[in-house]
Amino acid sequence: MSTELHTLSGAYAIDALSAEEAEQFRRHLEECPACRDEVRELRQAAARMGAGEAVMPPSSLKARVLAAADQQPQLPPKVTPIELARSRRWTSRIAAAAAAVVLVVAAGFGISQLQNSDDRSTLAQPVAQVFEAPDAHKATVETSNGGKVTVATSRELGKMAVETKALPRLSEKQVYQIWAIHDETPVSAGLLEDTDDGAAMAMPSAGTQVAITIEPAGGSQRPTSEPIIAVDPASV
Amino acid sequence: MSEPGLRLVPADGPADVEALMGRVARGDAQAFAALYDELSPAVFGLARRVVRDPARAEDVTQEVFLEVWRKAARYDSNLGRPKTWIMTITHRRAVDAVRRGESQKRQDDHGAPDEVIHDEPADAVIRAEEHGAVRGCLETLTDLQLESVRLAYFNGYTYNEVATLLDKPLPTIKTRMRDGLIRLRDCLEGAR
Repeated sequence: MSTELHTLSGAYAIDALSAEEAEQFRRHLEECPACRDEVRELRQAAARMGAGEAVMPPSSLKARVLAAADQQPQLPPKVTPIELARSRRWTSRIAAAAAAVVLVVAAGFGISQLQNSDDRSTLAQPVAQVFEAPDAHKATVETSNGGKVTVATSRELGKMAVETKALPRLSEKQVYQIWAIHDETPVSAGLLEDTDDGAAMAMPSAGTQVAITIEPAGGSQRPTSEPIIAVDPASV
Repeated sequence: MSEPGLRLVPADGPADVEALMGRVARGDAQAFAALYDELSPAVFGLARRVVRDPARAEDVTQEVFLEVWRKAARYDSNLGRPKTWIMTITHRRAVDAVRRGESQKRQDDHGAPDEVIHDEPADAVIRAEEHGAVRGCLETLTDLQLESVRLAYFNGYTYNEVATLLDKPLPTIKTRMRDGLIRLRDCLEGAR
């Protein structure tokens, strides 16, 4: 990280940068977790400094604010798409290579063995990361189509992940689709193309349920079937 | 949440802001009203301190709570506590209001601000217990750290403007601002 930029964290935290500099720093934050932590902490300190100025507002303001809010629709939660399995762990690549060899020798045998093994080496890396987080909470839930899904959440990482190896295979015409449902409005979080990978996503906001449906290949704009599972990540 | 917060709330103790936020995210208007009761003194107080004009501070307060209502479902607890989130929105909106007014003024009279407008003495606004802890911690800052932080935070100046006002090199102000906030953070952590 550039020290030059990093020292701007203080000014950024209290809105003392010009619009251009703030934009530049925001881009820097995307690739600097340490800076994000620092900004968060400095903002918390600044917030307390601000709260030290507390003054009762005129009582008439409350009615005005509540009436205005009543006229304003709330925005749906921003759903971060599931992270695609871009980089599998090296163990999985080796396992996959080994499986390929077995496949040639004894068609299919190696594959099913690999799937039955309990280790998480076939999981996509972002998924494994959540499952292996020190603060991970996990729960295994049965799905209505006779499979199982294990959900893991990590507050520290701010992520949730699902392990979906034990979901029944679908035909090529179908795909599992993940949804974030807030206020009865489902927003697609992405397709589960390969159930061996599982899926990871940013921890949804409070009150959001995560559900999986079976959709026609390619996915749907809105769910076209009843979810096979719906969980509240906060309860995991 | 045990943030030693405002003492302007009813005697039964501060409501759990985090729980309220969860309910507001689900469209619970009653929770929103409770959240307003809990945080409007902090929001209005900061807005008034920054924009100075009470009527404009009311407008800023309204804007802040509307943003909170609209974006409640997008509030990300990983970015900080709800109160920090709301105070951050408050500060940004108050500063925006000041800068909009300022650029208007500059267009009108074409002159750069050449005098430092000093804050009213802090003693005049002691109303919250929080103020005591913050004030104690602010005293641990060096003069230049304190002045840089206050001019930026309470007067809405950019660090560039602060450097001009205090006649100090830009990098100096940049670092003092950060060091000052770090010192404040560490002191408040310890005072918990």
